[in-house]
Amino acid sequence: MSAPPQVKALNCPNCGAALTIRASYHTLTVVCANCLSILDAKDPNLQVLQQFEAKERILPLLPLGTRGKLRGDVYEVIGFQVRTIVVEGVSYSWSEYLLFNPYKGFRYLTEYQGHWNDVSTLKSVPEVSTAGRPTATLLGEKFRHFQTSQAQTTYVLGEFPWQVRVGDVATVMDFILPPRMLSRETTASETNWSLGEYLPGAQVWAAFKLPGSPPPAQGVFANQPSPFKGGVKGVWGMCLLLLLLVFAVAQAFLIFAGQQEVFRRTYSFSPGSGGEASFVTDPFDLKGRISNVELSIFTNLSNNWAYFNFALINLASGEAYDFGREVSFYSGVDSDGSWSEGGPKDDATIPSVPPGRYYLRVEPEMDAGASTMQYELVLRRDVPSMGYFWIAGLLLLIPPAFVSFRSIAFEGKRWRESDYGGSSSGDDD
Amino acid sequence: MRHPFYLGYALILLGLVSFAEYRGWSFLSVNQVKDIPKSVRDNPGAYRSHYGFYPRHIGGK
Repeated sequence: MSAPPQVKALNCPNCGAALTIRASYHTLTVVCANCLSILDAKDPNLQVLQQFEAKERILPLLPLGTRGKLRGDVYEVIGFQVRTIVVEGVSYSWSEYLLFNPYKGFRYLTEYQGHWNDVSTLKSVPEVSTAGRPTATLLGEKFRHFQTSQAQTTYVLGEFPWQVRVGDVATVMDFILPPRMLSRETTASETNWSLGEYLPGAQVWAAFKLPGSPPPAQGVFANQPSPFKGGVKGVWGMCLLLLLLVFAVAQAFLIFAGQQEVFRRTYSFSPGSGGEASFVTDPFDLKGRISNVELSIFTNLSNNWAYFNFALINLASGEAYDFGREVSFYSGVDSDGSWSEGGPKDDATIPSVPPGRYYLRVEPEMDAGASTMQYELVLRRDVPSMGYFWIAGLLLLIPPAFVSFRSIAFEGKRWRESDYGGSSSGDDD
Repeated sequence: MRHPFYLGYALILLGLVSFAEYRGWSFLSVNQVKDIPKSVRDNPGAYRSHYGFYPRHIGGK
């Protein structure tokens, strides 16, 4: 239920400009928009309580008298004030719009660099804990302390249900639980609590049917909801499911891979014996679809090396897969203790070999003075190689890691503006 | 589904690695040579592989 408030027309006793009082029974002070005199609204003669000079006239983004629908009720903008805090020598100012509905009372809209909050005063007093970092608890929900500052009123316009003065100072403690913010304002005479909820500027513009678009929000505001809230947990949960899926597919390949041994033979090589080192094996069949072939080399090398030139050659087509493998194994004991390097065994997987009849050309090499090497060659067809699945697993971690990074960066920006700047309190997730 | 792009990315990734696994792809650097003469079987020394000219590493501490 809503109805337009009664409007009372008066004139400023200082400059004679017309004054409009919209919440007449509630208004204690009214500010002349022409001469910036703060007048006693309860005095029939509108006694001048204060005159202030402003370096520049500030035009409220929501003009006085503008009506809009918030939370289902029509409110009218009747007052406007600018409040300023000084942190490390730098002044930060925000705007507060006083809204009035004759049946619902007052509420506020605050604006700082394009960030809006819908604020209403609280009738109950939150419980404050100052053990460690202060917290405030309201209806079982814990708000974390964000900032304590001395806020000074630096500009006023319109009417107010309290004795407003430019220069009024209050100690403001802000506690956040995005998208809400609890604020405790303490003056010499009273303490007030209010609860704010973050509003996107576009929502304010729509509520008051303002022309154009709202000023863009700059930076991250104290109680601005994180666009990543909930998303981080969700994306990591999904990541876990996808990793399980990758694991299951990898297991299926492991189970169903042929892993058929197609060749096994033991040889010896004496580098000093002279003659041609290269030889070819007996032909063997590679069956099935296009798949890999794994060659395993088992040697008895010790403090020695060997190099093998291999060519897996298709008997019918003459197509060869050329590759080389080095096997070296060194070990010993020195002042650092025992050490070893390399190993006497090696594996190589030849990719995408079509089925057919093949043989292997082998050409071992060693130092001319090396002793005889015994070695065994084993060829297996369709051997599962989990390397790609490991890579897939790692690549699956990139999107959630990126979302987490963005979320942490967002929270870092939020808390950088707090009394705990630099030491991010972490994600709200 | 809250993360359709992530799901799509994951399914494409899984499809690729499954295809790679099915076709037996490998990280091994292999030089494919066409038309190896059949005489290699009788005279293996007549064929010199591409990898035969690579420098050797001699290990040891």
